[in-house]
Amino acid sequence: MSVRDLLSPFTAWKNIFRDPVSIEDPFNREASERYRGFHRNDVEKCIGCGTCEAICQNGAIDMVPVEGIDGISTRPGDSGLRPRIDYGRCCWCALCVDVCMTSSLSMSNEYKWVESDPDKFTFVPGVDKKQWDDVTHGYHRPAGHRLNAPERIEMPELEPGERIDSFVEIVGGYSVEQAVLEADRCVTCGICVATCPTHMPIPEYIAAVRDGDYERGLKLLYDSNPFSQICGKVCTRKCETTCAASHEGDPIAIRWLKRHITEQIPFERYRDIIGGPSPASGRKIAIIGAGPAGMTAAFDLARNGHRVTVYEAESAAGGMTRYGIPEYRLPSETIQRDIDLILSMGVEIRYNTRIGSDISMEQLHLENDAVVLAIGLWLGRSTRIPGSDHPHVFKAVDLLHRIRNGEPLDAPKTMVVIGGGNVAMDIARSMARLQKQQHGEINITLTALEDTAHFLADPVEIKESIEEQIRILDSRGPQECITDDHGSLVGLRTWKVLSIFDKQHRFAPTYDDGDEQLHEGEWVVEAIGQISDMSLLGEELTEKLEWNRGRIQVDDAGRTSEPWLWAAGDCVKGPDVVSAVATGHKVAASIEAMFEQENADA
Amino acid sequence: MPEGKGYKRLKAQTSLEDILVVATEFERTARDFYAGLVPKVSKQIRYLVEELAREEQQHFDLFTELLARSDIAGQVRQSIRTPASDRRFSDCIHLPELGDHPDDQAVLQYALGREHAAMEQYRSLAESTPPGPIRDLFQYLADEETEHKNELEKRYYEIVHSGGV
Repeated sequence: MSVRDLLSPFTAWKNIFRDPVSIEDPFNREASERYRGFHRNDVEKCIGCGTCEAICQNGAIDMVPVEGIDGISTRPGDSGLRPRIDYGRCCWCALCVDVCMTSSLSMSNEYKWVESDPDKFTFVPGVDKKQWDDVTHGYHRPAGHRLNAPERIEMPELEPGERIDSFVEIVGGYSVEQAVLEADRCVTCGICVATCPTHMPIPEYIAAVRDGDYERGLKLLYDSNPFSQICGKVCTRKCETTCAASHEGDPIAIRWLKRHITEQIPFERYRDIIGGPSPASGRKIAIIGAGPAGMTAAFDLARNGHRVTVYEAESAAGGMTRYGIPEYRLPSETIQRDIDLILSMGVEIRYNTRIGSDISMEQLHLENDAVVLAIGLWLGRSTRIPGSDHPHVFKAVDLLHRIRNGEPLDAPKTMVVIGGGNVAMDIARSMARLQKQQHGEINITLTALEDTAHFLADPVEIKESIEEQIRILDSRGPQECITDDHGSLVGLRTWKVLSIFDKQHRFAPTYDDGDEQLHEGEWVVEAIGQISDMSLLGEELTEKLEWNRGRIQVDDAGRTSEPWLWAAGDCVKGPDVVSAVATGHKVAASIEAMFEQENADA
Repeated sequence: MPEGKGYKRLKAQTSLEDILVVATEFERTARDFYAGLVPKVSKQIRYLVEELAREEQQHFDLFTELLARSDIAGQVRQSIRTPASDRRFSDCIHLPELGDHPDDQAVLQYALGREHAAMEQYRSLAESTPPGPIRDLFQYLADEETEHKNELEKRYYEIVHSGGV
């Protein structure tokens, strides 16, 4: 044994005075602040879009229903599902956190979890309460770090100066490159499908844009909506209000992508792609009204081989889409293409035919296996304030009809519109174009009871109206249409509305009559609401039918209390093109079911 | 106008009971008017007239019940602690000629006009009466009519001002 060997144990003792390099209590060591530990989910922010599930490379996430737990419920924009994570598969890569559309998913820096039961390591963060739920440290998606682009591709549009003196269509449409970029933003969660009244397969047709497979896209569109070209331009796009991308950016431009698909295929090829009708069934159906609801029902029923006759009071089909929406938003050729496609299925339209005077309801009943009432909302409401019976006080729907019908109209130099909905914007903007053409300048004031935040008009319509020099005055209560000593209309007197709704969001206006204004106008146009003209039913049928607060009562399938009569569209559901399409499908399905039942019973 | 036939009739009354009897009679007249209108209007809007008749019946019942109580003044005082405020929406609504086949808007306009006139009548009576139980009663009746008018205005907005497309 050497001296070194003898001394070496003692040299080790010198370390007793050094700081320890090992950890005294490894079980309570905190991980670094941004460590990717166990998952957390803010279930209130989470919408159950399943993007985390789609991106997970290990299949560690599946979406499970959690309705009823902690107040979570299925509601518009929320699937009612939440991610469940299997820690037997998770590799803590945090892609799920990085892609989360609402930033509800994050990771704590907690990393220790001891269980004897391995199944416990599969859990629903945020629902299955864990000790790390309230830990402040951990991994969140860094600000500005996005896996998908938050901003939508801008739609090319005519500038206000270029469009204000004509009815030329404003929107130009996406190029293929623009459409693909926009389609790339979609995470295909499908939450929009539930919100779309007619449940169009939105993620699938957006995928078709991405793939450049427009034929597939067109087929998907027309299988669910025969008004796809029209909806590609004027849909109220409820789908976009629940789009997952809208939580931290712009919603996907679903409407514009639909439009893009329809623009990529020559119309002559539509029919081949969509397919023709089934062999004739021998069944006959009469439909009253060639608007979106009536023509959708006609499309579905004709495709099933039934003989469909549509009775239309006007000289052209399309209903309110043709006679209520201005040309600059929806050109006539667009409407006609959708109508022509429906007609190509064998649908017959009898134009200029009024039910009640030209043909009775009873006759339709006797000559057909089923009758569908789809008459829309064609009568404009009036405020009926003093002076509103003046001949220069008009209803917006009547004026829009005259403009779309090509009737010459001498625009007044000054005009006031009452109303804050899309019809009000449509008539204001249409008359602004006529004023510009005829007088070289625009002088239109739009007044609404509601404040701007509660306008029913599409925000884009409001923005474009302002761009087109419409003077929009919100919170103005109409009091009287004023005439001068010669009986000429000079304007509208209004009071300031201080508040409009009570706590239950019911109408309870308060006014400041000290703030009274006279808005100059040779014409006053009322755009406050619409109603159906049910006089075609006649007294006897009106008495027979059940009604629900002024509207014809229908069951979930659109069938009235008279078993031979169905009702669909605006006259049942209120004004909206895509909702009318949805009800058209519904009544067609109900009639089809009745035929099937009758065939089975025979 | 407040100073109409009903105003004079009410003004002439000197006891709470007599005033309530006249007010109850007004409600009965209104109820009977709407009940009589029911078969004249289209079935489409019959619900509206039936609702109005029911509401007038409720007022009739309320006043009848009040009349049966021994402490009318005490009950009235309690009820007017939170007076209803007039929304003034109906100020500019025409009182229409109902005609043979009125539409829903005309029926509502008419109902609003009636409630508005009744409210103003009771309010005017309250203002011209010295403080005391009778004034309290007029104030109470004015509040009841104002509440009803406010409710009708909500319905009017929901039916007529759908906002367009």
